[in-house]
Amino acid sequence: MTQEAVTLTIDGKEVTVPKGTLIIRAAEQLGIEIPRFCDHPLLEPAGACRQCYVEVEGQAKLFTSCTATVAPGMAVRTQNSSEVVHEAQVANLEFLLLNHPLDCPICDRGGECPLQDQALAFGPGESRYVEAKRTFEKPIPLSPLVGLDRERCVLCARCTRFCDQISGDRFIELFARGAGERVSIAAGEDFLSPFSGNTIQICPVGALTATPYRFVARPFDLSSVDTVCPHCSAGCNVKLDVRRGKVVRHLARDNLDVNDAWLCDKGRFAFRFPDDERRVTIPLLRDRGLEPTSFGEVMDAIGDWSRGKRVAFLTGGRLADEDAYALSKVARTAFVTNDLDHRREFAGGEAERLAAVAVTDRALSVTYRDVERAKAIVVAGLDAEQEVPILHLRLRKAARRGARIFVLNPRRTRLWDVAEHVLCRPGQEAHVLEQIVDGEGGDSGVGRAADALREAGEAGVVLAGMRLAEHPLAADVALRAARRTGARFSLVPRRAGDKGALAAGVHPRLLPGGRRVDDPGERAEVEAVWGELKNVVPGRNAKQILEAAANREIDVLFLVGVDPLRDFPDARLARHALENVPYKVVQSLELGSLEPFADAFLPAAAFPERDAHFTTWEGRAQRIRPVRGPAGLSRPDWEIFAGLARAMGGSLGFESLEDLQEESVGLLSPRAFSGGASAWVGAGAPQWIDELTLFTYPLLVDEGRLSEGASELKAALEEKPFLEIHPVDADKRSIADGGEVRVRTQAGQAVVPVRVTPDIAEGSVFVPFNQPGLAANTLLSGRFTAGATVEAVAAAEAAADPERLTVGGGP
Amino acid sequence: MDPRRAGGRGVTTDRIITRNWGNPDVFHVDGYVANGGYAGLKKALAMAPEDVIELVKGSGLRGRGGAGFPTGVKWSFVPQDTGKPTYVVCNFDESEPGTFNNRELVDREPHQLLEGLAIAAYAVRCHNAYIYVRGEFLHQGTIVRRAVEEAYDRGFLGKGICGSDFDLDVVPHRGAGAYICGEETGLLNSLEGFRGQPRQRPPFPAVEGLYASPTVINNVETLCNVPHILENGADWFRGFGTAKSPGTKVFSVSGKVERPGNYEVPMGTPFRVLLEEHAGGVLGGKALKAWTPGGSSTPMLTAEHLDVGLDFESLQAAGSLLGTGAAIVLDETDCVVEAARRLLAFYAHESCGKCTPCREGTWWAVRVLSRIEEGLGRPEDLPIMNDLGRNILFRAFCPLADGAVSPITSTLTYFREEYEAHVREGRCPFTGSGPGRRIEEVAS
Ligand SMILES: Cc1cc2nc3c(=O)[nH]c(=O)nc-3n(C[C@H](O)[C@H](O)[C@H](O)COP(=O)(O)O)c2cc1C
Ligand code: SF4
Ligand code: SF4
Ligand code: FES
Repeated sequence: MTQEAVTLTIDGKEVTVPKGTLIIRAAEQLGIEIPRFCDHPLLEPAGACRQCYVEVEGQAKLFTSCTATVAPGMAVRTQNSSEVVHEAQVANLEFLLLNHPLDCPICDRGGECPLQDQALAFGPGESRYVEAKRTFEKPIPLSPLVGLDRERCVLCARCTRFCDQISGDRFIELFARGAGERVSIAAGEDFLSPFSGNTIQICPVGALTATPYRFVARPFDLSSVDTVCPHCSAGCNVKLDVRRGKVVRHLARDNLDVNDAWLCDKGRFAFRFPDDERRVTIPLLRDRGLEPTSFGEVMDAIGDWSRGKRVAFLTGGRLADEDAYALSKVARTAFVTNDLDHRREFAGGEAERLAAVAVTDRALSVTYRDVERAKAIVVAGLDAEQEVPILHLRLRKAARRGARIFVLNPRRTRLWDVAEHVLCRPGQEAHVLEQIVDGEGGDSGVGRAADALREAGEAGVVLAGMRLAEHPLAADVALRAARRTGARFSLVPRRAGDKGALAAGVHPRLLPGGRRVDDPGERAEVEAVWGELKNVVPGRNAKQILEAAANREIDVLFLVGVDPLRDFPDARLARHALENVPYKVVQSLELGSLEPFADAFLPAAAFPERDAHFTTWEGRAQRIRPVRGPAGLSRPDWEIFAGLARAMGGSLGFESLEDLQEESVGLLSPRAFSGGASAWVGAGAPQWIDELTLFTYPLLVDEGRLSEGASELKAALEEKPFLEIHPVDADKRSIADGGEVRVRTQAGQAVVPVRVTPDIAEGSVFVPFNQPGLAANTLLSGRFTAGATVEAVAAAEAAADPERLTVGGGP
Repeated sequence: MDPRRAGGRGVTTDRIITRNWGNPDVFHVDGYVANGGYAGLKKALAMAPEDVIELVKGSGLRGRGGAGFPTGVKWSFVPQDTGKPTYVVCNFDESEPGTFNNRELVDREPHQLLEGLAIAAYAVRCHNAYIYVRGEFLHQGTIVRRAVEEAYDRGFLGKGICGSDFDLDVVPHRGAGAYICGEETGLLNSLEGFRGQPRQRPPFPAVEGLYASPTVINNVETLCNVPHILENGADWFRGFGTAKSPGTKVFSVSGKVERPGNYEVPMGTPFRVLLEEHAGGVLGGKALKAWTPGGSSTPMLTAEHLDVGLDFESLQAAGSLLGTGAAIVLDETDCVVEAARRLLAFYAHESCGKCTPCREGTWWAVRVLSRIEEGLGRPEDLPIMNDLGRNILFRAFCPLADGAVSPITSTLTYFREEYEAHVREGRCPFTGSGPGRRIEEVAS
């Protein structure tokens, strides 16, 4: 379907745009900037500020170009060619400034404020207004993150429209009327949206300010770089601002292919970790204690420990693509081991292998645009708002455009108002997905999901989150559901480095490009570049590595940007492993809880100090750029790996980032993928032997990595630990909402405040993975689900219980 | 035969919709029916909906809520193939200063409105209609509710009304007290439970109104005319008023007159007749100074305009508007600066706050006018008032702001000298309030 085109002139210049285009957008195409405050290309027009007047030939009244659409042959005149328009804009600016406080010298927005810019460009030099200005109490904290200065507000409603139309978190609203109109929030409420910071960025004046940035800098005091958020696989494009060497702000950059114009609050406000005081930027080597040393010495020591020994590598999802590639290569070539893993969940299977191949192959992947344009979307095992927040916004956008969305998850997500949820008890996902494959389900959420996918065909999307990786088949069944209906499929990991690490082969079985180490043909393609691989037996995954370590079957364990004590879903196993490995090498920004264990520490450069790439969940590699040099003696991870190869008497074969990239390009470029018969056999309805299934995943804001120093963010959005249980299950156990319960698993027990809610599948209980005061991995045995029992605890008993975890307090 | 005397229900005057105001029985459904009420509805139900629309189109009836849009044409804009429900909303928010005809129409004969509403609903195939009652109209809200109950009891509303197969539910809805909720899109927002702020048009309510469905919005007086048109025909209706403004208009006359009140006169009747014959002339025999023909949002006229006909075209030609048909009369002892200040205070209070020129402009205007009235005006203030008018008019999001400009520009046009006197003398020439220039000069 070709879209009807409309040709018109603006200031005498001809332009052709699709029918329905707003005049203001058409003008932009000609490079004509019409002044505006309330207009935002991603929000619905409001026509509120009245700054964007244009004249349309033959029309007596001026038009607001942000609300009026083009018409064939229309002759538009902007302020550039119409005196009337220019005068109207000056007059409107005079209106806007009547009550504006003009406290620019102390306003965070000063220097980058549209109102200031326009006043400067063509505002009246002097005010004719001699009366007293409107005053309000200020600033009003809307949350620990967002402060509101009502005097500066121009009532453009961008912030409230964002909350209504984009995030769906309608915490703030315009109240009252006339000159008393103001942005407000319900009494006693906090602006508890994980997207609240976007309102600050799109506020055209300094009315909404960020607490972490309040009075911190003037724009001319900043040096900036365009880079990518390191927090999750969404890959939001950010502008990172540094003042005197310190990161002081993240702002969203517009990229309609990725993050539109948005960031989540974690991406925006968790920026202090590179400057955290706990960061260590010199190499350390254990002598009596951990002693500062040089890279040369520490590398030599590691070489001595490792030669001919059993070595394993664990990493999180935080490595940049180049680092992951270097790690994959150094482990296999210099250390001759396939015991390396970046995962915490262990999907395995075809879906994962496909994902590894698909990273560089658009034909096999899903993009944000695909999501946006989809007609039907099944989101399985993913709480997008908490795990990949910008994908959550895209799903909401898709819903606004008419997509039918179905969420298969054990917990209702914040898509509740735009999607149909099928709550399934953990372990049941494969079975439910199987019904979609078979087109079963009838008049139920599952049946409707199957129908919707089938009707959508190529406009269908299946997104498989990490909850599916808990079940050996679930992701594969999801893939099959997609194949059956013609939908596009993607595995959606949460962390920024996950897809890149998968593609690079930081994986016990997969080499770069998803090639299997035990498949001679595929292996040969890698060997053509890397040289012969001496170890061709698939290695251990993360869990097996820790088990082997605990059994003293590993001599040297590399912990690269990962802390198994906190990150691995079995705290006890992680501790045993660390206790039983002779040499632990920690490569990270800081030591954290690994300090007592580390035998060597290799300081890594932080992301604002790096030139590298992160690959989004879609498979889009995006460049991150340095805004400053590596702190102290720290180095980019890939350089450290190159050093390790030398210490082992070899070489990675590249001395520069460019060389590395050139080498990896060949191995990571698209290649044919034979779908391979999946090991899929009918998953069948699950039988549960456990009373309840406990499941957990990390919430967006928690005690996890890279949130160090983000105190305002945590004050605003970090929740205390809680346990969610379905009313039916609660009733059986006489558990009352708001009380406390004791949850027991094979691994441990804890006393936690309880929330009784129908927004969780019957038979399941949820605890967040890593809220302050409860490390859920003390309840786990290597997986993110566990059989559990839950019982009510009387208040007095809870208070007296010595085993009770301090909730909300520090460690 | 004189068409004016040929109507049903014993019409013997020039009045159509206030003709029964002397008869208290028509307040209840029984009296209304005994007086011939609901005959228009029955007639309509026997016709095809399209024919009802055609008939109303043919009558030339124009909206009485202010804009004067032809009612039948409005109904014909309602698309019938959207798969969505169609709504009719009666606008009973009547908040325009000086306007109180809707209120009395409901006070005296509420079923006339319900009958018109039912006919409108039938014409556009609507099964759910609303009556949006101004928040302050506590009593009228009760009247409407009771009348609706009576109509349900008697089968004029509800399932299969009047034995036809047409169903209609009517829900009275009380507003919360905001002038802007009389503006049709503000009204729709309010009815949906949102803030009373106007919506972007297009889409127009006829296409996307209440709950994004096709919606007809009509004023109380407009709807009250409809049963009579059904009963007596389009030609009969055109026998009243002028060619382009057929029918009558109920004028609310207030201010400095002997007999304030509502008077129904044929469109085109000169203001002099309304003022002198109906309202008893200016209070105490004083001289007329200024008057609004259609409420405070229409530019004021003066004694020069006594013979202007009260209809859409004549008033427009005279530089004003018919508006809601509400004459506020000022006599020679009234200060127009004070009048303008009070009216602007109304608009500043009622501005919904959404758009800049209205929100800030009315705020500014009140302050400048107050200063002038208090004798603190400066010569620079007159150009500011001039600019204010120019910079608000047709620049705002909705017509509320244009209404606010009317008192500014019309008083500046006709009574500039009075403004200048305030500034020159440093006090209000009528009340004497203000420091006065001489005092200031002595002091300095
Ligand atoms: C600020 C403002 C207030 C209005 N208030 C009313 C009102 O109280 N009652 C009314 O019928 N129309 C009012 N209107 C006009 C309505 O928008 C609309 O034109 C009218 O209800 C349509 O009905 P009609 O065609 O029967 O006149 C108002 C318009 C504006 C701009
Ligand atoms: S706070 Fe900012 S974004 Fe919100 S309405 Fe005011 S000026 Fe607009
Ligand atoms: S003109 Fe603007 S501020 Fe005034 S009532 Fe209309 S929309 Fe609201
Ligand atoms: S930008 Fe058009 S009205 Fe605000």
